Amino acid sequence: MTVTSLQEVADGYRQPRSLGNPILDLNPITTLCVIVALIVTGIALGGWVPSLAVCLLFMVAAVVAGRGRTYLPLILKLWLGVGLILFLLRALLTPGHVLIPLGRIAVTTEGIEQGLAFACVVMAICGGVTLFFEFVPMRHLTLALERLGVSPQASYVLLASFQAITDLGATAKVVLEAQTARGVETEGNVFMRVRAFFPVLAPVFLSAMAATEERAIALDARAFNSSTRHTSLVELRRTRRWEPVLAVALGVIAVGVIVGRALGWF
Amino acid sequence: MVLAELQDVHFTYAYADTPALKGVTLTLEQGMLHGIVGLNSSGKTTLCGLLRGIVPSFHHGELTGRTTILGRELADWNPDELATTIGCVFDNPFTQISGIRDTVFEEIAFGLENLGVAREDIITRVIQVIEQLGIEALAEKNPNELSGGQRQKVAFASIIAMDSDVIVIDEPTSQLDPEASEAVFEIIAGLKKLGKSIVLVEHKIDLVAEYADTVTVLHEGRVALTGTTREVLTDPRLRSFGVTPPQVTELAERLAASGRPLSRVPVTRAEAVELIGERMREEVGGGYRTA
Repeated sequence: MTVTSLQEVADGYRQPRSLGNPILDLNPITTLCVIVALIVTGIALGGWVPSLAVCLLFMVAAVVAGRGRTYLPLILKLWLGVGLILFLLRALLTPGHVLIPLGRIAVTTEGIEQGLAFACVVMAICGGVTLFFEFVPMRHLTLALERLGVSPQASYVLLASFQAITDLGATAKVVLEAQTARGVETEGNVFMRVRAFFPVLAPVFLSAMAATEERAIALDARAFNSSTRHTSLVELRRTRRWEPVLAVALGVIAVGVIVGRALGWF
Repeated sequence: MVLAELQDVHFTYAYADTPALKGVTLTLEQGMLHGIVGLNSSGKTTLCGLLRGIVPSFHHGELTGRTTILGRELADWNPDELATTIGCVFDNPFTQISGIRDTVFEEIAFGLENLGVAREDIITRVIQVIEQLGIEALAEKNPNELSGGQRQKVAFASIIAMDSDVIVIDEPTSQLDPEASEAVFEIIAGLKKLGKSIVLVEHKIDLVAEYADTVTVLHEGRVALTGTTREVLTDPRLRSFGVTPPQVTELAERLAASGRPLSRVPVTRAEAVELIGERMREEVGGGYRTA
């Protein structure tokens, strides 16, 4: 890297952080509120159509934000792996008007309705959570939380927890490779893989615990426990005035729908 | 000014049966590179922890004797203040990065953020350190995806950025290949040139010989030898404490044993080159002799 490009990297930190899309540049808390409000509204309206509509809305939002290429395949896998199974279980095991008899079980009209509703609700929640993490880098979320007064220690725990998932996966892979090198069977069918994986858990978690102490000392060496008010190299974009209005409006709608349903207005 | 003064210091870790330090008395001057060597479990890391204040504030245990850091009793130091006054780098490159920053640039800035430094000053300082260590190519990389050697450089950069006058370095090359080890020692040499006080625990005795001003040998929690690098590394008792002299010193010993001693015993490669060159010139001038 030339001196000029190091300056370019540095200049990137002189500007508020932008992900290059108005949707992605929403304040993380706004994004969180909007997604939660949409999920709650979809579920509170009842039936499968509102929840499915929320799922579709999330997909459209992902495409508009330029994250369709990563979000859509992921959500499709979730639909096939989770949504379909949930739908089938309900469709086959719910008693009611039999549409297709299959021995001791049967597909029923009520089962299909309940299966669709349940699968769509779960998928709206899964879709929302996935979309949130697709849109919001964890670092941005913690910065937004720190701006709201959350302590750096709490935001560290949040960030480190997510990083720990990656680190544990990497350590597990190393231990599995070491086992393979020693001639232990780690490949094969599901049972073989599970049998190979469980003994790996103890060393993986023990090494993670051992590393925690060293990391705590390393953080201490970086003045992490300093009582001085911490500053931040990365700066989030200024929250636009309409963002809280949008979040509050959607929140009010969600609460209105819940209250309306409770009072039997619709 | 004295960097650290220890008088009859004993320390036993909580839950340990035997003390890690037994009556350590030692004075380390400021502005020098102090090498600490010794076998495993000889107390080197505990001594580093004591100088850094980790012992006994983080690693609890029973501490007796008198420990003075930069003229102030250890007990009088606020742990946060000591952490920023004395930087430290450890042996494991994988646990020294915060794990929560997306780029090396941000990782180096982490300590400065914690000290409440303003953004523009952070940027200026990080650029300076990156250029100083020649790690421009790493600036935009994810620290979690670097090799051990690269992580160790980033760990050094992060500590250097905080501009501590004293740096405690515990076996920085123990998990690195020779090339990465040399690179780390170049960084340490650069810090020494800047006038930093450095306490370095290291097993690679040849590197200690090259860079250290003083050497202390610890053995079973006690100071076995201490003095200038030359005094300690040429001391005939060195091997009895499990420390092998530098290769060039061994070579000189063997030449002496064969009846052809060099004019003095070298401890660094540069000295050895000079002395062997001198010998060769003598022998060429006076005709080759057989031993």
